[in-house]
Amino acid sequence: MEPSAYITLKNVVFSRSGRRIFDGVTLDIPKGKITAIMGPSGTGKTTLLRLIGGQLRPDSGQIQVAGLEVPKLKRRDLYRLREKMGMLFQSGALFTDLSVYENVAFPLRVHTALPEDMIRDIVLMKLEAVGLRGARDLMPSELSGGMTRRVALARSIALDPELIMYDEPFTGQDPIAMGVLVKLIRDLNSSMGLTSVLVSHDVPESLSICHYACIIADGKVIGEGTPEQLREHPSEQVQQFLNGEPDGPVPFHYPSGDAASDFGVAGGTV
Amino acid sequence: MMNQIAALGRIGIETVASFGRASQFLAGVVFGVPRPSVGFPLLIRQLYAVGVLSLAIVVVSGLFIGMVLGLQGYTILSDFGSEAAIGQMIALTLVRELAPVVTALLFAGRAGSALTAEIGLMKATEQLSSMEMMGVDPLRRVIAPRLWAGFLAMPVLAMIFSVVGVLGGMLVGVEWLGVFEGSYWGNMQASVDFVDDVVNGIIKSVVFGFVCAWIAVYQGYDCVPTSAGISSATTKTVVYSSLAVLGLDFVLTAVMFGNF
Repeated sequence: MEPSAYITLKNVVFSRSGRRIFDGVTLDIPKGKITAIMGPSGTGKTTLLRLIGGQLRPDSGQIQVAGLEVPKLKRRDLYRLREKMGMLFQSGALFTDLSVYENVAFPLRVHTALPEDMIRDIVLMKLEAVGLRGARDLMPSELSGGMTRRVALARSIALDPELIMYDEPFTGQDPIAMGVLVKLIRDLNSSMGLTSVLVSHDVPESLSICHYACIIADGKVIGEGTPEQLREHPSEQVQQFLNGEPDGPVPFHYPSGDAASDFGVAGGTV
Repeated sequence: MMNQIAALGRIGIETVASFGRASQFLAGVVFGVPRPSVGFPLLIRQLYAVGVLSLAIVVVSGLFIGMVLGLQGYTILSDFGSEAAIGQMIALTLVRELAPVVTALLFAGRAGSALTAEIGLMKATEQLSSMEMMGVDPLRRVIAPRLWAGFLAMPVLAMIFSVVGVLGGMLVGVEWLGVFEGSYWGNMQASVDFVDDVVNGIIKSVVFGFVCAWIAVYQGYDCVPTSAGISSATTKTVVYSSLAVLGLDFVLTAVMFGNF
């Protein structure tokens, strides 16, 4: 049974300051599942999320979210669509001048006309879901990195979105915080039926929770499938990435000129 | 030679593109006014940060500049035996020139740099991005209240500067150096015209307020989101604001008081 796609990318081409970042990316992200997008650092995984969120526009190609063509949306429609999206930024991106409680309440206050006691209930429920109901009066500067991400997660689910995008949720977390995040991502997906997109280069954690994964390198999707399918993938490049081998199809050396001429060894004239 | 021409062209294109971005940005901010129920509290908060907190530096500077004008004016005017004209000299200097210009320069240093750094840091920590992804337009929510606050606060600060400066001049001229108090106020009243002097001074500070606030928020919004980028944007805010204020002051003075 093939689940219907919530996000569809077709031949997306995107370049920035003269460098081509995506060269024809085609990808379907199924509804209600966790999809991991993996790839080496610098392959534009975060850029992909920004394209889906409409913060950047592709040079060509189609990006559909919930049946809407994102790059062609009018500003107002785009903002309306974004109310259905949550995004967890790598840094958490909490508003530093607001307390934990006010941070989570922010989207509710802006987008709904709910009375204060209802907002309070929702905020406390969302904080309870990430285990931080007791931290509601703290300021963001008083939180540890893992807690910051959990508060940010509570904020991004405050409006009960249909889609949530995680940008490198595991980077720089200690093993316990990482375990908590893995559990939260899985629980949120199953209890709320969210479509989750996870961008990461932490292979074991991502493969342990995702239903579906794809690997991006050199501006293209080089492998996709379920975690089991990926582990059996014939491509050497996919295997190199999954197993973390230092040299292979992705070279250890940054492209450079002839070594002999750089070091001034005889015979190095080009 | 060709390279130099090409470099010159590139600088030209970059300058024009940067002006274009700044104008687009301005249009987005000015026409994207949030609902009053949301926008008004945000504006009040920024008026406090930008205006009320700048009050101390403006009052102290105004007092000292008024006192210095009193001293200098007295020394020069007493050579001609006309130290009684000190009141009108101080008032005209302040209202026409010094209050709008010095307040704008202080404002750029005190409030403009803070605005740039704040917005730049919000950009670097992805707060602006996350706001966008929550379906909230940062131009309306973050930038617009700050721009309007700067625009509204500057004329008020400049007027306070003038008032304090006149009192400072009196302190030195009348209380200390012994100019007759009646001639200090009387000459001032006779020579300062409301429309020609006071209103023109206010127009100047309105223009300066707008330019300084625009430069400050734009530099913050457009900065490279790194620590080096924020520091260079803050510097640019102060330098560009000061140059713009002094240059515009000449133009405005020529138009207002040039008599041609």
